[in-house]
Amino acid sequence: MPILRAKGLTKKFGNLTALSNLDLEIPRGRIIGLLGPNGSGKSTFIKLATGLLVPTSGEITIGGAAPGIETKAMVSYLPERTYLNDWMRAEDMIAFFGDFYEDFNRIKADNMLRDLNINPGDRLKTMSKGTKEKVQLVLVMSRDAELYLLDEPIAGVDPAARDYILNTIITNYKENASVVISTHLIADIEQVLDDIIFISQGEIKLTSTVDEIRETHNKSVDGLFREVFKC
Amino acid sequence: MLVKLLKYEVKATARTFLPLYLALVVLTIITKLLLFIAIPDAVLVSTEGSKFDIPLGISMTLYFTIIIALSVLTLIVIIQRFYKNLLTDEGYLMFTLPVQTWKLILSKLIVGLMWTFVCGVAVAVSIFILAIGNISVMEITQGINVFYSGFQNQFGVSPNILIVEFIILMIVDIVASILMIYVAIAIGQLFSQHRIMAAFGAYISISLVIQILATLLTVIIPIFGIENLINSQTNQLKVIEIMINGLTLLNIITVAAFYFITNYILKNRLNLE
Repeated sequence: MPILRAKGLTKKFGNLTALSNLDLEIPRGRIIGLLGPNGSGKSTFIKLATGLLVPTSGEITIGGAAPGIETKAMVSYLPERTYLNDWMRAEDMIAFFGDFYEDFNRIKADNMLRDLNINPGDRLKTMSKGTKEKVQLVLVMSRDAELYLLDEPIAGVDPAARDYILNTIITNYKENASVVISTHLIADIEQVLDDIIFISQGEIKLTSTVDEIRETHNKSVDGLFREVFKC
Repeated sequence: MLVKLLKYEVKATARTFLPLYLALVVLTIITKLLLFIAIPDAVLVSTEGSKFDIPLGISMTLYFTIIIALSVLTLIVIIQRFYKNLLTDEGYLMFTLPVQTWKLILSKLIVGLMWTFVCGVAVAVSIFILAIGNISVMEITQGINVFYSGFQNQFGVSPNILIVEFIILMIVDIVASILMIYVAIAIGQLFSQHRIMAAFGAYISISLVIQILATLLTVIIPIFGIENLINSQTNQLKVIEIMINGLTLLNIITVAAFYFITNYILKNRLNLE
């Protein structure tokens, strides 16, 4: 059974159609790149999967269930925003995650913070934007979730941290869990992806495995993206 | 999960309040001491004044400033915790927790109610401490006794039930006031721009609607013969009770409506920036 399934998924904001009649299945055990230009509906799709948004029509299920507290317990979501409470310390956020998520692995979080040279006792208020993003990613990746939804996970961090983060993404998830990474920085994440979904103006343009793209198009994902979405 | 939410809500709010409550305690003690020195005998206030009059004046002014600041801060925290924690970037965290939306609202409400209560009690206790000595405990208990026996004589029953009913009305009224702020903010976030203005607009509109409904009620009520009840002397107590409990009931209905609407909007029409 796929971890995520969307059927006729449509989301409208007033007159604007953000997603239009999307049919999609995301299998388990894969790393999927959700790729598209700005405003293509990537974030809307992820927000629908997290339950932050409710579809206008159609349906989306995670592990067979509509978004709700059961699916929230198995989805680990990294938004494009910094959602940390400014007044807390990194270790307070770790305690917070440990309290609310049963699948949170504290040891993993401590180790990752140490690797990234972040002091757990530091206040989030005093941290730079990039450091906060790292803390947030550490929290999200320290869960043993079924599905990770990462919205622009590497946009704000330096290249060295980028490599570390990508490495944690590919090594940290369970065998039958899936990771969806939404980004437009394709070249940076290309080497970790198994599958890609090209999305534009709320519609799926292409779904494929990365191997297929390399074989049939004889191109990198980045090259194909530039071709498909040529302005 | 509700308990965990409450724990973090108390943690998040306590650090804002603690300095002010600490200041209240310190100022109560200082003012009390100065009162004691400047006016040792409440009955025989010396006409030439005391050299402690100025410090006492300053201390008193600060004391009342702190009390006003506490009340204002309580209101601000109630608004700010709901808006900032749920409807700005922090909302991305709160609404993806494996927790039902109604529990998020309830946790904010309970802690808001708690601080309102703490504020009221703290101010009452502090004023009592300042007053004691000038008014003796004996005078107060005497006053209460006079009130009780007077009430007993007039109506033939103890006022305890009435007092309890009145307290219930006050609590329900505070809950309704807090939820009215929540529902206005929830409506405000439906707009993609000028959300805070929209929330203010929503608040004013709701107040207007409630005013109109209340006016309508005062027109309708006489039809049910309440006036006859008021006119008959023996039933005065009954009339007061009907009024109090009627208001409580109306408040409970508004509380239910506000809670339902807030929950519906945050669950189905969440519109985080």
